[in-house]
Amino acid sequence: MAAIVEGTGLTKHFGTGDATVVAIDSVDITIEESELVMIMGDSGCGKTTLISLLGCILTPDAGQIRIDGEPIDPELQDMSVIRREKIGFVFQLFHLLPYLTAQENVMVAMDLAKKNTAEAESRATELLTQIGLSERLHHRPAQLSGGEKQRVSFARALANRPKIIFADEPTANLDSRQSDNLMNLIQELRQEHQTTIAIVTHHEGLKENADRVIQMKDGRIVAA
Amino acid sequence: MKTLFLKDMRYRQARVVLTALGITVLISLILLLGGIMNGMRIQARQYVESTGADVWISAEGSGGAFIGFSMVVEEYMAFLNSGPGLVPDSAAPLVFAQARPTVRGKSTKAIVVGYKLGQLGGPKSTVEGRMFTGSNFEDYRPEDPVPYEVVVDEKMGLEIGEQITLGNEKVRVVGKAKSLMFVLDTPLLFMDVRIAQKLLLGNTPHVNMMIAKTNKSEQPAQIAADLDALETIEARTLKQTLRDIIAYYVDEPMKAVQFLRVMLWLAAGILIGMITYVTMLEKTQEIGVLKAIGGSNGYVMGLLLKQVVLISAVGVLLGLMLSYVFAAAAPIFVLINFVESIIVACISFVVCCGSGYLAARKAIAVDPMIAFRGEI
Repeated sequence: MAAIVEGTGLTKHFGTGDATVVAIDSVDITIEESELVMIMGDSGCGKTTLISLLGCILTPDAGQIRIDGEPIDPELQDMSVIRREKIGFVFQLFHLLPYLTAQENVMVAMDLAKKNTAEAESRATELLTQIGLSERLHHRPAQLSGGEKQRVSFARALANRPKIIFADEPTANLDSRQSDNLMNLIQELRQEHQTTIAIVTHHEGLKENADRVIQMKDGRIVAA
Repeated sequence: MKTLFLKDMRYRQARVVLTALGITVLISLILLLGGIMNGMRIQARQYVESTGADVWISAEGSGGAFIGFSMVVEEYMAFLNSGPGLVPDSAAPLVFAQARPTVRGKSTKAIVVGYKLGQLGGPKSTVEGRMFTGSNFEDYRPEDPVPYEVVVDEKMGLEIGEQITLGNEKVRVVGKAKSLMFVLDTPLLFMDVRIAQKLLLGNTPHVNMMIAKTNKSEQPAQIAADLDALETIEARTLKQTLRDIIAYYVDEPMKAVQFLRVMLWLAAGILIGMITYVTMLEKTQEIGVLKAIGGSNGYVMGLLLKQVVLISAVGVLLGLMLSYVFAAAAPIFVLINFVESIIVACISFVVCCGSGYLAARKAIAVDPMIAFRGEI
């Protein structure tokens, strides 16, 4: 299988002088096509920083990132273009726009990519129907349960057919039933869309869903 | 989604409405203050222009026409009435003094205009009743008793035959003149120059100025310059007098108001800048999420600027309309100049948008990592 995301010698520091913290320390990582990877480790071990680097939100102090075989150069490329075209994000706190309906929240991602409105509306409806929210298209986030909000968040991440979805603690704010339902949905979506997914989680119970578990400690990968 | 910014505004409608209302009130105040000043300028001009005089003469060092007092010297009057370039016998003494007559038991503000009946300085006829009885004198000493009579501004609401008290004397209203209010709707009371001297100037032969008309073939500016060259008098043209009276009665007292107008502009700019900034703080996470999922700085900036432009435009337009409503309802003469109001509206719009832009620039600097941290 081809590598979708590759990081080589990735290093990231925060702070300066004596207060410098090495968040990611010479990490090499490869995530392959259609893989479901769980990135696990204690709080502060660098999991979120790692997906932020791989998701082109942060710029590494050292190292190289390739997405879908293409090297990423923050100096020469517009990171926002890469994020909207190749990457999908799911956040722990869902982060849906409160003034938009579920359908519009999914459409926003396509609006950023300058997709035609009719096409975006149709795709958003299709995705939300697929995840079982066809009755909730016109509901605002405040009218949705936590599990429903996280589903909408996944639909938004899938909207632009990204190469990879990075999900940061997607089940942290869900109860165990909602958590199980979400993981089932992720598996279904993965089968359906052949999407590569990397999930950062503390939840040991989710391990069984993963193709591979990457264990981190103190900014390094200790097991993969 | 072209309406994304509108949906956001609808979601935050209370803040949007309050911001637009804040701008509306500030803009209408800016325009209203300008309108009050315009009204004062017009009212200051209209009496001066109505006199029909071309040259305004006062004693050297008196401070000028409308400001100081000059002794009426018979020799000078004789000289002026036969003076070079002036219409013969057109030179006339004029008292123009602020007073507080008691009208229907209430002390009120007025300007007493004392002039010689039939000469320059006041109306030659009334719209109701008759003109006051004019004193008949050869020289300009004040002894020349005539009845205490006054012609009042038609808008004062006084009836013919009513009496007002001025300088402890009862003065009878004998006629009404076409309305010619002075600055801040101060009514003019027209009376004989001798009566004005007696009631207001302690019966001394003082006047505020002498006014005269130039021959049609002469340039008033040249005549005024020739007279001004004489050592004991100052002479001004109509244009110079208008400039002096507007400076004395409008511009100088209204300096604080001009300053206030600038402050209101700043307040309008700061208001929208602060509200945009506070809204941006509230939306930090949303902006971070938009950037994290691929929103460019331009996209986020566009979203914020569309809101700023719309709120500013609505606020400024409503302010413009409201200022005309306020002007019509104001208890004093307020004239909002249309061209000036458009210029003020445009400048205000630019100020509001400019400050909103500065706040939006700050907003686009939000780190998309905030979406992961889940905190501001």
